[in-house]
Amino acid sequence: MRNIRLNVNGEDHEVEVDPRRLLVHVVREEVGLTGTHVGCLTGDCGACTVMVDDRSVKSCSVLAAGADGACVRTIEYLGTEEDLDPVQQAFLDEFAFQCGYCLPGMLLTVRELLDAEPDPDDAAILQAISGNLCRCTGYGPIVRAVRAAVRSTRGGEGS
Amino acid sequence: MTGRDDAPRYFAPTDLDGVLRALDGADESTVVVGGGTMVVPTMTHGHLVPTVIVDLVRSGLEGIREEDGATVIGAMTTYSSLLAGERERLREPGHPLNLLVRAASGITGGPQIRNKGTLGGSAAYANPSSDVPGCLVALDARVRLASPRGVREVPAAEFYLGAFRTARRPDEVLSALVLPRGTATAWGYVKFKLVESSWPVVTSAAAVLPDGGLRVGVGGAADRPVPLDLPTPSEGTDDPAWRALVADEFARALDTHGAVPVDDVLADARYRTDITPVIVARSVAGALERRQG
Amino acid sequence: MNTSVPSKGTGRVGEAAKKRDGKALLTGGARYVDDVRLPGTLYAAVVRSTVAHARIRRVHTEEALSLPGVELVLTGERARELTEPIPYFIDPVVRGARRVDIHCLESERVVFVGQPVAAVVADTWEGAQRAARLVRVDYDVLPHVLDAEQAMSDDAPRVYEEWADNVVLSKSYGTGDPDGALSSADVVVTGSFRSERTTTAPIEPRGFLARWDAREETLTMHGSCQNPHQLRWMLSTTLGIPENRVRVITEKVGGSFGLKMQGQPEETLVALLSVLTGSPVKWIEDRRESFLAGSRQQVHRFTVGARSDGRIVALVNEIVADAGAMTAQAGWAMPNMSATTFPSGYRIPDCRIDLSIVATNKPPLSAARGFGKDSAHLVMERVVDLVARRLGLDPALVRERNFISSDEFPYRTSTGLNIDSGDFHGLLDKATKSLDYEGWRARQAKARGAGEHIGLGLALELTPESSDSPGSFVSGFDTTTVRMSVTGSVTVLTGVTSPGGGNDTGIAQIVATELGIPLEWVRVVQGDTDQCPNGFGNFSGRSMVVGGGSAALASRDVLRTLTTVGARMLGVERVEVREGAVVDPEGSDSVPVPDVARAVLTRSFEIASEVEPILESTRAYKPGNIDHRPDEHGRIQPYPTYSSCLHATAVRVDAETGKVEIADYAMAHDCGTMINPALVEGQAWGAVVMGLGAALSERLVFDEAGHTVSDRFKSYLLPRASDVPMIRMEHQVTPSPFTMHGNKGAGEAGVGGAQAAIANAVEDALSPLGVLVDRLPLSPPTVLELIRRAKEGRM
Repeated sequence: MRNIRLNVNGEDHEVEVDPRRLLVHVVREEVGLTGTHVGCLTGDCGACTVMVDDRSVKSCSVLAAGADGACVRTIEYLGTEEDLDPVQQAFLDEFAFQCGYCLPGMLLTVRELLDAEPDPDDAAILQAISGNLCRCTGYGPIVRAVRAAVRSTRGGEGS
Repeated sequence: MTGRDDAPRYFAPTDLDGVLRALDGADESTVVVGGGTMVVPTMTHGHLVPTVIVDLVRSGLEGIREEDGATVIGAMTTYSSLLAGERERLREPGHPLNLLVRAASGITGGPQIRNKGTLGGSAAYANPSSDVPGCLVALDARVRLASPRGVREVPAAEFYLGAFRTARRPDEVLSALVLPRGTATAWGYVKFKLVESSWPVVTSAAAVLPDGGLRVGVGGAADRPVPLDLPTPSEGTDDPAWRALVADEFARALDTHGAVPVDDVLADARYRTDITPVIVARSVAGALERRQG
Repeated sequence: MNTSVPSKGTGRVGEAAKKRDGKALLTGGARYVDDVRLPGTLYAAVVRSTVAHARIRRVHTEEALSLPGVELVLTGERARELTEPIPYFIDPVVRGARRVDIHCLESERVVFVGQPVAAVVADTWEGAQRAARLVRVDYDVLPHVLDAEQAMSDDAPRVYEEWADNVVLSKSYGTGDPDGALSSADVVVTGSFRSERTTTAPIEPRGFLARWDAREETLTMHGSCQNPHQLRWMLSTTLGIPENRVRVITEKVGGSFGLKMQGQPEETLVALLSVLTGSPVKWIEDRRESFLAGSRQQVHRFTVGARSDGRIVALVNEIVADAGAMTAQAGWAMPNMSATTFPSGYRIPDCRIDLSIVATNKPPLSAARGFGKDSAHLVMERVVDLVARRLGLDPALVRERNFISSDEFPYRTSTGLNIDSGDFHGLLDKATKSLDYEGWRARQAKARGAGEHIGLGLALELTPESSDSPGSFVSGFDTTTVRMSVTGSVTVLTGVTSPGGGNDTGIAQIVATELGIPLEWVRVVQGDTDQCPNGFGNFSGRSMVVGGGSAALASRDVLRTLTTVGARMLGVERVEVREGAVVDPEGSDSVPVPDVARAVLTRSFEIASEVEPILESTRAYKPGNIDHRPDEHGRIQPYPTYSSCLHATAVRVDAETGKVEIADYAMAHDCGTMINPALVEGQAWGAVVMGLGAALSERLVFDEAGHTVSDRFKSYLLPRASDVPMIRMEHQVTPSPFTMHGNKGAGEAGVGGAQAAIANAVEDALSPLGVLVDRLPLSPPTVLELIRRAKEGRM
């Protein structure tokens, strides 16, 4: 067992972990933020996506011990029910989710895309969400939502 | 079997010397973790039960530099950092990084995997379905292996011994990939997957050589990457005669290298063998087009 | 007091109200079962059979027990002493089928790889996983059979030694004289079709958290499930705990598509482990375990006769369905619906559909969106295309000539279904226009000149919804309580559940519309057996039909009391409720609903006298058109209503690699009245893409020993965003005369038609090469194999 420090959504946490303990389990169990979901534990579905030092990763494929000292951001950081991020608002408006299980990972991935590329074309959108599986929507509404988020951000700049 | 639940010892050294100290006396039960995207799930599911974990996350083994006529890629260089530097680098079409950039931009699993997965990790894990091994063969690359006993470099074509099997010894770390410069004038790369979700089924990295010939690294089709030396097609890459030649050369190369076609849940050996000339032809067509600019 | 003119609302029936739980889901605040934290929770892992058929000799638990943190290792033998067999969701005996006892852990004879044989409980998830790997089982291996057609041969190994053969159910459906009609047909086409095993794969796997309170003698089960009341009954039966001491709480469900219907062994098992350890026990299915759930594997051999003008005169089809091992879940019965859904929306009175459901040593079937109906669409639509091809007619024309006309409804099909309403010609028109069918035909002709392969595919999909099965817990009705409080806020307690599709939003819209109050006043509670009235949960596109219908009935009861007292308060004869106020439609007076509610509940002996002082009603809604009394041909009619849709697609096929690219896709969809069009569209879109997965890439592969080889999302290939087209969605509304709102159920339609449209389109694309599509999925290796076979056949 070893002690690690994580800054999660701006808060410092010190946690004792087995070297095999996964980051996703530390975030969910020790830190207690359950918006990050477990879907496959093989790095395929993307439901466990979090930001580590400002880059999206699949937290089921990250050893918590290796993340010692890292700055972790989860879905709980993106926006609140009262103050949704424009990406969250666009997903709500476009019915871009149903069961919501893949949603936190999907949202963080899209946020990372738009931070790097404010006006992505459809190919870039598809490429960006290619690591996130969704079984409910058929993806079309998600693509629509990302386009809408782009429009709303641009509209915001204009006004 | 002791029946005890002994947690493995864990090391996250901060430099290469530290890595080598951690590997001193290592045996098969030592696992070296690079980006972790392949090894960590394998441990989670109990397919790999290490007694020692050497995590390279803080080892500093990343970065790309030029060294004596070769481009050297630190093992922990992620696909994303390879791609991020891309815009700044205005290079000649034959620069070896141009091939790796093409391969890295299509890595399966989304940005999350490109952010975490490393070129060294992919090279060392020797998954027949990964992009990197086939590219290394086409690049005539060497794999740099460091151990407490010293450093050696192994040509990529000799490094791969089979599916998930390489010439790396348990106390060695793959520290860098060494890509000789000037081996090609243009590159082409085609990856064929069944659908976005699947592992690559066949990949082809094609180099147009300075003498006009072609060197191709075929990945995915066999248990290890297969190098092919081919003549430039005089009648175009659709020419059935040239495609037949590619098929013959591929069959011969399998024999020469003792490679076995992959037959798995995604596609049987016959399918892979059948489409290999098609994928090779498409990658060569791309390379020839880029050479002409 | 004045009333304002209602502005355009966003919460009434027919409007696209946002998902009620949307913001919680968007911010990570929604609670799924794995998010529930109870102090002292232990973690369970299931030890599963590693052989396809064997007698269990001994289970070695010592090594696992010696691991630190391991609390319990439970063997099948011990579990058998403590529990009764799991009751069947659909009793095979009632359906004339064979049954076996199924226990939460098998103690004697395993019949598939993956069957639960022991369980481990430890203080951490990791500890339980490691301990489970240390439980060893000695087996006396027996011969096994993995293929349904082989399993039907006389010398095949028997999956259940107490059965005379491996046939679970053998049945024949249909009326008329198909053999006679075939002999007088202008053309007769025969063929076969084989579909592979697929799985539903919601992104959240199954999971349960059981808490046995020994002092109170109560069992609380938190679950990711579809049928909480059925689960309560099952747990009461298997564990011998009175049903009123069992509470099932359905947490937010991360998708299901049938997977989380009840009857699985782990449900009883997790509850038993909590009873035995005295602690809360959580079990969350691993993704590899989730891949054990199978669906759709069938072989069809058909003969169809037609006149030269394209009119189909007879259909004979023989179905062999691979059920795997038996299950107490509803999955085993799916192939029965494949049989009865023939001949879909086509007027073919002379049919014979022979069905054999066959057991093999594979994991059991698990209910899957489409519930077998999708397989009928796949094959029926292939049949229509084969007739068109033989006659040299356009497939669109042959469909037009055979569709049941909109003036013929209700129409009783040869297999017994009484289709309530529809307009299939209208759907065809909408879908082909949306796709630009004629334009694509022109592009196809041009592409063929250039050696490229473009193909068009059409498919009708007729989806019986909201089923009822007598004596089972597949119920054609459901129950809802509507309760208004003294402040006018409304709590809706309903027996239907939502696995993610959003029927809670739709039901709230119905209640708000019926009561004339703002949507925000309505709270919907689902899935808690201690709160909700007896109900049946979610399956068969029923939730908006019967959940919505019962919510409307209960709302009307409440409304009656509100308007009676409201009218007295306003001193008028007749009132309406709009925008949260009781108003005099003749004048301008109004009184807010909360004031009326308070009057009903606090002024019962003056202004509300002679009115029963209750603003609550519990009502069940039974739609029409269900009839279980066999007619003169023995046909029953288990569905009130039938959704329909028509798929039209254009594909490009790379004949060098066999890869299929979907160039365009249109769907005309008719589920009758749409309570919330955005939610309907979302369901349909998702169902189409699930069908595209089955058509092109999804397949559970087994090795010869019976192990599932496709064990992760890199080998079981779900569609990803770049694999699928943006779908052109058209709506047509032909209301059902047999349901309260005229709605027909949404959510299943799409999955079968998409498979059929792709199969038809790929064959159309490759028809110059002589390719015949007789199987799914059309993965690149399969397509190349079909091309090769066509070439060899022509040599």
